[in-house]
Amino acid sequence: MIRHQITLDYALNPGWLGPFVTGLLQGQAIARRCAACAATSFPPVRTCACGSDAGEWVTLPGTATITLRTTGQDGDFALVSFDGATTQSTVKLVDVAADASGGHIIASTGGQPGLCLGARGARNAR
Amino acid sequence: MTGAALTRFDRRKDGSGFRDWAKSAFDAALAQSGLTAGDIDALFVASESDFFHFQLNPASILASELGLVGVAATRCEGGGASGQLAVHAALRAVQSGAARHAVVLGVDPSASSLSGDAIRDLYGFSFDGWTDGMTGLTATALYALSYQAFAKRHGTTMDDLAAVTIQNRGNAGGNPNAHLPRSDSAAAIGQSPVIASPYHRLHCSPLSDGAAALILSAPARVPANRNAAPQIIGAGAASDHMHLSHRADPGDFTAKTMAMARACAAAEISPQDIDLAEIYDAYAGAQLQAISALGLSDDLSNDLSRGVFAPEGRCPINLSGGLMGQGAPVGAIGVAQTATCALILEGRYHAALQPRILPRYAVADTHGGVCTTAAVTILAQGGTAG
Repeated sequence: MIRHQITLDYALNPGWLGPFVTGLLQGQAIARRCAACAATSFPPVRTCACGSDAGEWVTLPGTATITLRTTGQDGDFALVSFDGATTQSTVKLVDVAADASGGHIIASTGGQPGLCLGARGARNAR
Repeated sequence: MTGAALTRFDRRKDGSGFRDWAKSAFDAALAQSGLTAGDIDALFVASESDFFHFQLNPASILASELGLVGVAATRCEGGGASGQLAVHAALRAVQSGAARHAVVLGVDPSASSLSGDAIRDLYGFSFDGWTDGMTGLTATALYALSYQAFAKRHGTTMDDLAAVTIQNRGNAGGNPNAHLPRSDSAAAIGQSPVIASPYHRLHCSPLSDGAAALILSAPARVPANRNAAPQIIGAGAASDHMHLSHRADPGDFTAKTMAMARACAAAEISPQDIDLAEIYDAYAGAQLQAISALGLSDDLSNDLSRGVFAPEGRCPINLSGGLMGQGAPVGAIGVAQTATCALILEGRYHAALQPRILPRYAVADTHGGVCTTAAVTILAQGGTAG
């Protein structure tokens, strides 16, 4: 048996995704609004479905409605619609009650830019 | 398709490694083809991740291991679709005249080299690692959300998930190379731990070790004793948006539909002509989504209950056991599916599973991500088409 262990310490430059990544770490939903058709994507899409790659960053209210939810050993996750976005998002649910219909984006924990949804009102508590 | 072979799929405990499995599959496929290593012009290796075997250039390693030094050696990678994409790359090499005979070799030590927890974490980065991966979404969670959207629209139930699970693992019982032949009851499946609702552990495919190999030959170069070998008559691939959340319907495997349309156009047949399928059942629900996307059924629940896709049905699906029953060494999957179709079309498959009447057309269906990359290949009996 060959036993081997390595530790990798990545420093990934987010490039054009920078505002989105920064927003996640701060608990803000920074989306991309297409300059041509105004479609607003979150997570942001570089090239819109309409074909345009011109756009601007916009800050969404951060509130979202849960469309589908999955729970189990892997954790709690959901497909949600953020208010102001025309696309849906996949999020990690953090202390969101099983019967809750929505939540609010919260700052990602652990230094990783994860997309986390907490209970409504959780943003101020954190 | 002058040669087709698979190794056993399981969690190896015999001290063998991926080099051994690759050699074993290659030797068997080459022997079936009647060719020698000197006849081979190109090698296409499917291997999903360097993390599994700790090799960053496995194609060159395997060219040496197989006695093929000097051939054009290329690695093909497209997540779970890697194996089928390698089949397509080899097909194009042969069609273009760049190769007389090409080897496709799929191999991965997905079970034995890393812990299950480590593999689960790595798989979480096989969608968009910087968004979904950093969020902590697992493959099972994303597939679960996609299947929920599908079930909501198509009315499929937990009973349907159990039926797929029981059938695939039951088929694996006739496959001596299968990793997970089981005969669980629907109740036992429902009592296994919930990984990501609605998926319980027994609705999921296992991590496996193994390899599969194919030899593709230009029609004019097929050895005389292989004139009846099955033919590839169509191949198609397509992609979907990397974010499940950005698709028009997150339950649809749209890329699979596009890939199948392209393959059928090349083959000049329709999905209704298919009478054998090896389908990418990473999860029980993914098989249902695939049947729908490939156009193999217009009335899914009814066809399931009528046994259309059972071993004795009009279009048997996953006679091998599929990923759920035969196993899932990722890079080998698409190659194994295509090899299985070839062996069945030629009447060479395991006796317990070989249909008495040979199918006419078979489809091998593979995808990566939550069907973010789709690749399908259509095969026909030798001499019937092409």
